[in-house]
Amino acid sequence: MTLVFDAIEQFINGLMFGCLYALIGGGFTIIFGVMRRFNLAYGSNIMAGSYLSLVPLYLFRSPAWIMVLTGIAAAILVGLLIEFCCFRFIKKGHELAPLMTTIGMLIVIDQAIVHATDAVGLKYPSPFGDVSYELGPFLVRPDYVAVLVAGIACFALLFLLLYKTRFGRAMRAVAERPEAAQILGVSVRRVNVLTFVLTSALAGIIGFFAAVSVGSARPDLSAFVTGKGLVVMILGGLGSLPGAIVGGLLLGVMEFEATWFLGATYRDILAFLILFLILVLRPQGLMGVRTT
Amino acid sequence: MEYYVAIGSIIGIHALLGLSVYLVAISGQMSFGQQGFFAIGAYLGGMSTALWGLPLLPALVVGALVSGVMGLLVGFPALRVRGLYLAIATFGFGEIVRLAFLNVRYTQTIGGRVVGPNGAEGFRHVRYVFDRGFTGLQYLGIILIVLAIVIVLFYFLERSKVGATLRAVEEDETAAAMVGINVTRVKVLAFGGGAAVAGLGGALFIHYSTYIDHDMVALPLAIASVTYPILGGLGSFVGTLLGAIVLVGLTEGLRVLHELREFVYGGLIILTMIFRPRGIVDEALVLRVKSWFSPRAARRHAEAP
Repeated sequence: MTLVFDAIEQFINGLMFGCLYALIGGGFTIIFGVMRRFNLAYGSNIMAGSYLSLVPLYLFRSPAWIMVLTGIAAAILVGLLIEFCCFRFIKKGHELAPLMTTIGMLIVIDQAIVHATDAVGLKYPSPFGDVSYELGPFLVRPDYVAVLVAGIACFALLFLLLYKTRFGRAMRAVAERPEAAQILGVSVRRVNVLTFVLTSALAGIIGFFAAVSVGSARPDLSAFVTGKGLVVMILGGLGSLPGAIVGGLLLGVMEFEATWFLGATYRDILAFLILFLILVLRPQGLMGVRTT
Repeated sequence: MEYYVAIGSIIGIHALLGLSVYLVAISGQMSFGQQGFFAIGAYLGGMSTALWGLPLLPALVVGALVSGVMGLLVGFPALRVRGLYLAIATFGFGEIVRLAFLNVRYTQTIGGRVVGPNGAEGFRHVRYVFDRGFTGLQYLGIILIVLAIVIVLFYFLERSKVGATLRAVEEDETAAAMVGINVTRVKVLAFGGGAAVAGLGGALFIHYSTYIDHDMVALPLAIASVTYPILGGLGSFVGTLLGAIVLVGLTEGLRVLHELREFVYGGLIILTMIFRPRGIVDEALVLRVKSWFSPRAARRHAEAP
């Protein structure tokens, strides 16, 4: 009976924390959907957001919402830097070149953070308190509830933006047929830059919630979110936002169950095993459409 | 002196790792998982001498062979996907290997020391080279001899029909298949060969350092291994060698740069990809250099677009 109870409790935790994974995967997948390129520096973008959001806290003990806004602004600047260095000047027809430049950028940003902080994790206070909520017989962590709320709000905004605004329509047009969109008067470059602004703003939000739920801003944060982001993006299907939600929740639940019942290292093996198998057996992902 | 011997050893081992990526790359695939094969070679090679009492040469062969076979096994399913997907899939494989070694325990107590893969502790006390009284310089000699053999193999491979076949598959898979090349077989063999070279590098490494753990075969090693061929250039294996010598030499050799090595790596990758997407020694440069020596190559260079 306790076994079932534990399984359900971990299921709830996994679903809530999975919202964070869904957001990470969503950021990766939007960039891929619009530009048909991986941005492997996205994890560093997120990490830069969470570190820089600590600046106003250290300077004048700012409240949490100012930290979030600072994180978003900083992440947007870093995102524009990534777009400028890694994508703008790449010649067409070299598929792997932007993959490599973003890896280069990942190293540079991560090292800049490591050098600036002496590789020591910085304590990241949670504004949500540490008193768990009671949900029937189950206990729920307050920061996980915040992650859940943030996830729902962000995805609602993203879908509104993508399907109810002119910019969203331009983004979807570029994602589907860049040349045709260009002919019809959509500036592909502008859409690309705005896509970076959008995903970087998301990176700032993710950076805040990731650091809050871990309890500190740590230099291995970028490797962590990069791993999760790739798994979620590929699990759900490249370029599919609903896929990112399904993939994120699925990964969250699987990880919490695996951690509880098998142990932490098996959790990571499981995640990469799923990544490998999905790529090999169903490259289009769970929700993706097969393209040739 | 010892300092330079150490740098030379690291260059030799990293050159092998770079060549393993290069071999896979000239069949049109990018692998981010060679550090996984490096780890397999290191653990198996280390177990051969430290636990099973084999001499060094068979240990190197075991490391390379087991890695190579693993490469063939992984290659078959992985090569169903290509390009970016393959890069991510192979990285997934590398991480699986790394995390597996985090959990593997297979130890014996030899001479009061716990020897063998020991989970998160890593694999310590691979003292074959040390116990046999080899000096660092002698072991550097062994590394360079092995590297030289591999280089000779690559030299003939690039000039052989197999080499041409690999390039044909890279250039255009459909066209290659139409002239009767078994594309899958070529790709899987290149993957297996690359894995064996990486395994050889790993087996040499553990006998050099006497120690390996899972942290040493994580993302940074993957990045280093693809950086040598991609910066050096995919036109000839010479580019990979140059890449390893220059990058390792620079970052290990100059203390100032050692602090900043990651910045140097990252910045160089970005600049090279922007200005020379096929690396420093690319196909055009190879043709131009050849044209200095032979009139036939000069003609081909003139015709090249």
